[in-house]
Amino acid sequence: MIGTVVTQKASGPVLDDLVLVVPELIFVGTALLLILIARRIRKTPVAIVLTVAAAVAAALSAVWFAPAEPTTGFAGMITVDGYATFFRVLIAATVGMTTLLSVRSIVGEEVPRGDYHALLLLAATGMMFSASAIDLLTLYLGLELTTLCAIVLVGIKVDRPLANEAAIKYFLLASFASALLLYGIALTYGATGATDFAGIAAALSKEGLASAPFLLVPLGLVTAGLAFKIAAVPFHAWAPDAYQGASAPVAAFLAAGSKAAGLAALGRVCLVAFGSETEVLSLLLAGLAALSIIAGSVLALSQTDMKRLLAYSSIAHAGYAVLGLLAGTGEGVSAMMTYAFFYVFMTLGAFGVVIALGKRGEELDRYQGLASQRPGMAALMLLFLLSLTGIPPTAGFAAKFVIIQSAVRADHIALAILAVVCSVISAFIYMRVVVLMYMKDPQEAAPSRVPIAVTVAIALAALVTLVGGISPGSLTAWAVSP
Amino acid sequence: MSEYIGVAVMFVMAGGIAALMVLLASTLGKKNPTPEKLAPFECGQEPFSLPMGRLAVKFYLTAILFILFDVELVFLYPWAVVFGELGTLGLIEMGIFLGVLMIGFVYAWDNGALDWK
Repeated sequence: MIGTVVTQKASGPVLDDLVLVVPELIFVGTALLLILIARRIRKTPVAIVLTVAAAVAAALSAVWFAPAEPTTGFAGMITVDGYATFFRVLIAATVGMTTLLSVRSIVGEEVPRGDYHALLLLAATGMMFSASAIDLLTLYLGLELTTLCAIVLVGIKVDRPLANEAAIKYFLLASFASALLLYGIALTYGATGATDFAGIAAALSKEGLASAPFLLVPLGLVTAGLAFKIAAVPFHAWAPDAYQGASAPVAAFLAAGSKAAGLAALGRVCLVAFGSETEVLSLLLAGLAALSIIAGSVLALSQTDMKRLLAYSSIAHAGYAVLGLLAGTGEGVSAMMTYAFFYVFMTLGAFGVVIALGKRGEELDRYQGLASQRPGMAALMLLFLLSLTGIPPTAGFAAKFVIIQSAVRADHIALAILAVVCSVISAFIYMRVVVLMYMKDPQEAAPSRVPIAVTVAIALAALVTLVGGISPGSLTAWAVSP
Repeated sequence: MSEYIGVAVMFVMAGGIAALMVLLASTLGKKNPTPEKLAPFECGQEPFSLPMGRLAVKFYLTAILFILFDVELVFLYPWAVVFGELGTLGLIEMGIFLGVLMIGFVYAWDNGALDWK
């Protein structure tokens, strides 16, 4: 492909390509519209309605326009298969729910509305591209688009010093991670002469690591770059600060969407591009998973800020999800997809309750006596916390079950045991919140009414968490690996 | 290696002539120092000041807007070279690209990036 000019005379092939990216086109179109009218929609909920409509349309079109067979487009840059469709729907759902959750905390304060939602949509476009990329360059572009928008979203409350600090920290570490990833891509190209996954896989199967130990370097660099995106230890340092500094809906979006997109990218790279190097790769991934699970669970114990607590929890969950990639089989990857799916909804739910409680929701101590003041809200929080711990009959249990099962099948018994032990430790963290809610007397007045949009989003998350726990197959039957 | 000997000779001669000039000036020349003469010579510039001096932050916006059009031009040049082969489709694609860039410009305009205040 390099060095040749791709010319297309007829409009047929171009239209075929464009049909593949209809969800992305919807997001970009809506984002551009929002940018154009950004200064004229200060007082109406136009931006929210537009964004939710775009999210619904994108999810529907992702399913509607999904080709029966995996189809590649744009000269082998992207593919639309079951894997891409799965993550596209998941990301569209994340955008829709984040928008609903933003109704109060973002719009209530001085944040330019059109800009916020446009950035949300553009970030989601990048996420979708990284899920359907079959070329390292498209993958990089998708992840970069996501990260750039996410950095601005973290610092969108310009007059909050904490948000500025978080944005700067996120920016510096993310640029570092991008450099690692880009260097890994360059070295991969140097070693294999290809940037597309199929080409890399072909070159690797001809002369694997055994004959070219130099390949370890690009392999490690690409994995490290992607590990930054999912905030796996030791590349997690940005997450707690970024989540704490960002406003709660943005933190929810990062924890859910950004992580899902990173996992999507990591899954395809591990399975398709570096599929023949499973042994080395699973060693790297096992290290990442073990460190993330331990560090995430243990460090969460001492947190008093709810967003930081959920950040460490998200680090641990990234570790659990990576367990699915150890085997290097399609089965393992679909376990990872199941995990990502349920994780997104329970995290959005937990963040949703934090958002619903406003300032009170962000500090652990202020959850005291919530059950007697707002029994419904406390019950929902209990549901999400049970799910994050992995207790039946919630989706978190189903997710942990398949993921630990896949680790056992990949003969990583020690890691499976570690995962179970750390689940118990994490139970301690989450139950601390439950004890505060149910067994303490309230110290302050009941929280004010919750906007209807936030309630809808939380209810949706709760529904998925419950249905996913009772019959997980019904929601994740289409979690098919590439 | 032999073709580099000329370069080496040039280095030695240039260094030698420069050293000779400085040496002759410092031994034969008359000394009549004043504070101005002793200060490092910087072509009339103040030898010591803040690295960049102070710059109005307004220029930052101008620079960003410049990049917008700069990127546009970077893509327009190669496009113009193969325009004949691309045909109508190429024209439409470039139109879309320019449109997207212009939306960014309109946004900046909307937010007062062009008001010099």
